[in-house]
Amino acid sequence: MKIVAVTACPTGIAHTYMAAEQLEKTARQLGHQIKVETQGAMGIENELSREDINTAELVIFAADIAVQNRERFANLKILEVAVQDAIKNPAALFSRLAE
Amino acid sequence: MIAIDFAFPLANGLHARPASLMQEACLPFTASCRFCNLRNGRHANARSVLELVASDTAAHDPCRLEIRGVDETKAGRSLSAFLREVLPHADDDLPPPAAATIQAAWLPPVFRNRADSVLPGRALSSGIGMARALVLQKKSAAPRGFAAGKKDAEKELRLFQDACREAEAEWRSQAAAAKNASAAAIMKAHLAMISDPGFRERIAGLISGKKMAAGTAISKTTATFTRTLRCSASAYLRERAGDLDDIADRLYEKLYRRPTPGSPRPGPSQPAHKGQRPGSPHVVVADGLTPSELLALDRRRLRGLVLGEVGLTSHTAILARAFAISAVALPAAALKKISEGEELTVDGQRGLVCRGSKPALKRYYRLETRKLRLHAARLADLKERPAQTRDGLRVEIAANIGGSEELAGAWRSGAEAIGLFRTETLFLERDTAPDEDEQFAAYRQAAISAKGRPVIIRTLDIGGDKPLPYLILPQEANPFLGYRAVRFYAEQPELVKSQLRAILRAARHGNLKIMVPMVSAMEEVHLLRRLLAEAGAELRERKIPHADNIEVGIMVETPAAALFVDQLSREADFFSVGSNDLLQYFLAVDRGSARLGELYDPLHPAFLRLLFQAAGQARKAKRWLGICGEMAANPEYLPLIIGLGFDELSMAAPAIPAVKERIARLDSGACRALLNQALFCASAKEVARMLGEFNGRGETMEVIAAELIRLDSLSRSADEAIKELCDLLELGGRVRNAHELEEAVWKREETSATDLGLGFALPHGKAATVRTSSVAFLRLRRPMRWGGKNSAPVQAVLMIAIPATAKGEEHLKLIARLSRRLMHEDFREELLSLRDTNGVLAALRQCLRES
Repeated sequence: MKIVAVTACPTGIAHTYMAAEQLEKTARQLGHQIKVETQGAMGIENELSREDINTAELVIFAADIAVQNRERFANLKILEVAVQDAIKNPAALFSRLAE
Repeated sequence: MIAIDFAFPLANGLHARPASLMQEACLPFTASCRFCNLRNGRHANARSVLELVASDTAAHDPCRLEIRGVDETKAGRSLSAFLREVLPHADDDLPPPAAATIQAAWLPPVFRNRADSVLPGRALSSGIGMARALVLQKKSAAPRGFAAGKKDAEKELRLFQDACREAEAEWRSQAAAAKNASAAAIMKAHLAMISDPGFRERIAGLISGKKMAAGTAISKTTATFTRTLRCSASAYLRERAGDLDDIADRLYEKLYRRPTPGSPRPGPSQPAHKGQRPGSPHVVVADGLTPSELLALDRRRLRGLVLGEVGLTSHTAILARAFAISAVALPAAALKKISEGEELTVDGQRGLVCRGSKPALKRYYRLETRKLRLHAARLADLKERPAQTRDGLRVEIAANIGGSEELAGAWRSGAEAIGLFRTETLFLERDTAPDEDEQFAAYRQAAISAKGRPVIIRTLDIGGDKPLPYLILPQEANPFLGYRAVRFYAEQPELVKSQLRAILRAARHGNLKIMVPMVSAMEEVHLLRRLLAEAGAELRERKIPHADNIEVGIMVETPAAALFVDQLSREADFFSVGSNDLLQYFLAVDRGSARLGELYDPLHPAFLRLLFQAAGQARKAKRWLGICGEMAANPEYLPLIIGLGFDELSMAAPAIPAVKERIARLDSGACRALLNQALFCASAKEVARMLGEFNGRGETMEVIAAELIRLDSLSRSADEAIKELCDLLELGGRVRNAHELEEAVWKREETSATDLGLGFALPHGKAATVRTSSVAFLRLRRPMRWGGKNSAPVQAVLMIAIPATAKGEEHLKLIARLSRRLMHEDFREELLSLRDTNGVLAALRQCLRES
């Protein structure tokens, strides 16, 4: 499956990046293709392009604060979770994708 | 009549100590001296300490001294010298209250929901004190039994005079016996108050005029002054009311033979309470505690003080700080909750008192005490060691003193030398010049106490404005630019030579140097050299042992001297910038003038250029250059001072520890770069802004260091682990105030707990108190639960601290990378299993370095 994701936490120092790492790692293990945009203290990094979004089947928001430029994903199926969920139990999160 | 206008120079206002100095300065003259505060229109007899204090004079108030009488000319000159030379230094050794002002606003979770056991108040003196409570009952304000009826005035007057004499004798012996300078000064201030004409004559007047009992007259007079003081705009002066109570108490005691205050107070509260043997440590709880009562307590057993509404600058609080006893002031309602014998923790850091022995709080305070102990050890270590910058540049830190009684305090503060020994106090306020032997005794004492460290003695710096009965100098329109210091040496060779002989004799006992004030021309140094040679020859002739060689330095106070260092070097062995006068002469700004306050700014880029030139010339001539003005004592200015390349900084002793600590964190290269920018700024404001940014940014340090890693933590809860990590960061110099970081971290934690469910917690905070982005690491001896009962056990805690201003920098990237790595089990395993600190440090470093 081709997935895009955005991670964002309140201070943007640590959890944004941990969640991104966790999503990337787990997706690889499960054979999915993923690109994760981080919205943290260093601003937006690894920004999702229009093409990334258009070709994705689904977007995951692992965020404890409002996602910036949310309108980009208007036509996409969205799975919203807390940052902690992505960090603590990414496998459970991915199993929800199948549903 | 002669009128002298001035702006009041002391930050704490006109309190007892400067007032008693002013009174002393007026005493030798017959002219009347009236002090006027032009801001509030109050007047005072300048010979009355109490009236002076009651004038409610605050810093920078425009003031006038009016002098009327036959010797008004002489008095005018003497007093204007006093206002310029002595008064501004009256508070130099007052311990700063800054460290103890933290208000208990935010508290970590461990303190919450304990309304009965956690009592918020105000920190008066820092430190943590734990022991059982010893409650001292408040005495009634004045004894009863003397109020009624007319009295035999003569008898009452005699009783009163006797009581004053006895009290004076007691204070005098207490002042002499006091090992602590603050305690001695406070006793002296009490002495001044009790011999105050405004106070004494008023009481005597009430006794003889109204036939009052002595006790009634004392209580009426005290009440009058206390009322004025309590209405004062200055908190400092309001707090002086406590001193008056202290004085009145002592007089009642002498009059009516009541027991000595403080040392066992009467009442049921003396040690016979449950669970406490007499002689065991205690925390004294008292609503009002006068300075005498504090001095009478057994300080070996005293762990802390809980007081009623007492101000930060009350003498009781000053003494607590001088003796390093933690102290907190509580509102009356909270104070009443404390009962005899219960366990108390006096938190002079946060300004609160904890009752009882809750294990969580005890463990928290054990950590706080450990941090304070480590911090004190580091300061003590710095004190012992010569000061140097992070990159190894040596800077000598010295003390300015005004007399030999300040020597002990200077060495105690970690001074490596005496950079300025002002000798004027030996000469002022007396009818004849001190003879050679008297001076010799003072200088010899300094030489011996220095144990080989340098002591720089400044020769006589008296001006045409200071009429000494034995030294008649002309009266001038502008004595600041007149016939003073080295400029009169040619006409007064004997006076100067007696000083030089005394110094030469004393120099056999230690490392003394001579510094000449107010030099503006080469001839003046030639003259001094000649007088010095003659002094030596005279001693040889008299066969009196003395040093043959002594270094002669120049105090750089005139712009001429500053720009002439290369030439003056032919005759001088060293230079020391007197930045206060140099700035005033250079900018043509009277530093005492209230209206010019803003213009008098040492950050003026032109002034920095002047210093830069002087420093360059000194370096070229291979002479060392020091600075002994207020500029050297301000830790905020240090980057510029280091950038300028001064070899020695000399300051009031209490400023030394903070300056040494700050220097140790500076990089001399970065300081020079900063100075180079400052030299080309357009205004002092611009320099101040740049300097502020530099100081705020702190030093770029590596994100992790060995001192930020602890592998054997005994912490059992998130409260303790977060506190321990914040403390590590503070001790490592990464964070100014651990409490502030703790607050930021907890606020983040409260939005969602930061344990990862993987055996790790990752608390973090962004706050202004953080100097440089840092990571600290704690491995726990026993796994703990971070959040609620259901949270997974945590074995290690990694804390990230980021400055409030950080934006997209390299450090943030490194930390993002570290966070990502933590998602990998192999890395976590490594951090949990590596045996020693260096292994963990290497693993963290490697992860931070990988690109």
